[in-house]
Amino acid sequence: MDTQRELEAEGGVATRLDDVWVTIVWNDPVNLMTYVTHVFQSYFGFSLEVAAQRMREVHENGKSVVASGPREKMEVDVQAMHSYGLWATLQRSGE
Amino acid sequence: MRGFRAEAGNAVAELDDEERLVVARIVADVALLLGADAFGLEQDAFADTVSDIDDPFEYLRGFEESIREPSDPAILRLLPNAAPTDREVADEFRRLTDGELRGTKVRRLRRMWDQLSQGGDEWVVPADEALATAAALTDVRLVLASRLGLKTDDDADRLHHEIELASHALDTDEDGALPIDHERVWLGMLYQALTWLQGTLVDFLDGTDEETDV
Repeated sequence: MDTQRELEAEGGVATRLDDVWVTIVWNDPVNLMTYVTHVFQSYFGFSLEVAAQRMREVHENGKSVVASGPREKMEVDVQAMHSYGLWATLQRSGE
Repeated sequence: MRGFRAEAGNAVAELDDEERLVVARIVADVALLLGADAFGLEQDAFADTVSDIDDPFEYLRGFEESIREPSDPAILRLLPNAAPTDREVADEFRRLTDGELRGTKVRRLRRMWDQLSQGGDEWVVPADEALATAAALTDVRLVLASRLGLKTDDDADRLHHEIELASHALDTDEDGALPIDHERVWLGMLYQALTWLQGTLVDFLDGTDEETDV
């Protein structure tokens, strides 16, 4: 590997580390408020207060950012939310 | 029907024969939608072995090049698009998670179906399975909601009103005067009953949390 390509590869890694993604949970007419709060507490380890606040955000504003981090971690979180029947998506932070 | 309450560490609800049959049937239908074999029809030993595998779909789906977005809106609600504005991210997510998610959901539905098919009015859910059961109830309700066209909170309110009107008309023998969609009302009532039942199960979960906190 020549120096130029090495630099590019390192640059690529640096970009990936800075690459922050978010998990968003969206409102739906099916999920019970108590259930959503319980899932947030159980999966993300939020306190009841934080979980209830995020749940209200989902219910009243239509969505809430519930986690942020590398894409791979957000994929795990979104998969978990889908396993609980919550409608979640991932995207680059700030998009 | 009696909602879930704590009994000897378990969450226990009561459903009569007909209620259990109706719920078990819709549970099996949702599993079919997710690609499972028909519950109750696998009689041979091989099927028992396969159902013991953690995720019977995982190894089959590994061979698929890509997995397409489901065309049935009800299945799409169970396995939603994870990145509606980024096709590449959405496809990659589906390829990585589709098999495992289907396996998890079918396994939970299967457990629920087994419990409901045991006979006796009591539906006993061990405490450590209560959240998984609540999740499976969500999946069943999501499918019913999709079939009922519930997309917004207002739609859900309207359904409630619609059912009240229909029940009143049926009670007072005025159903000839009102155009009642009996199938829709029946599905709506099942949806409402499962919503209520799930609510009591979540109350149980919150109650057991409080006890552990003390």
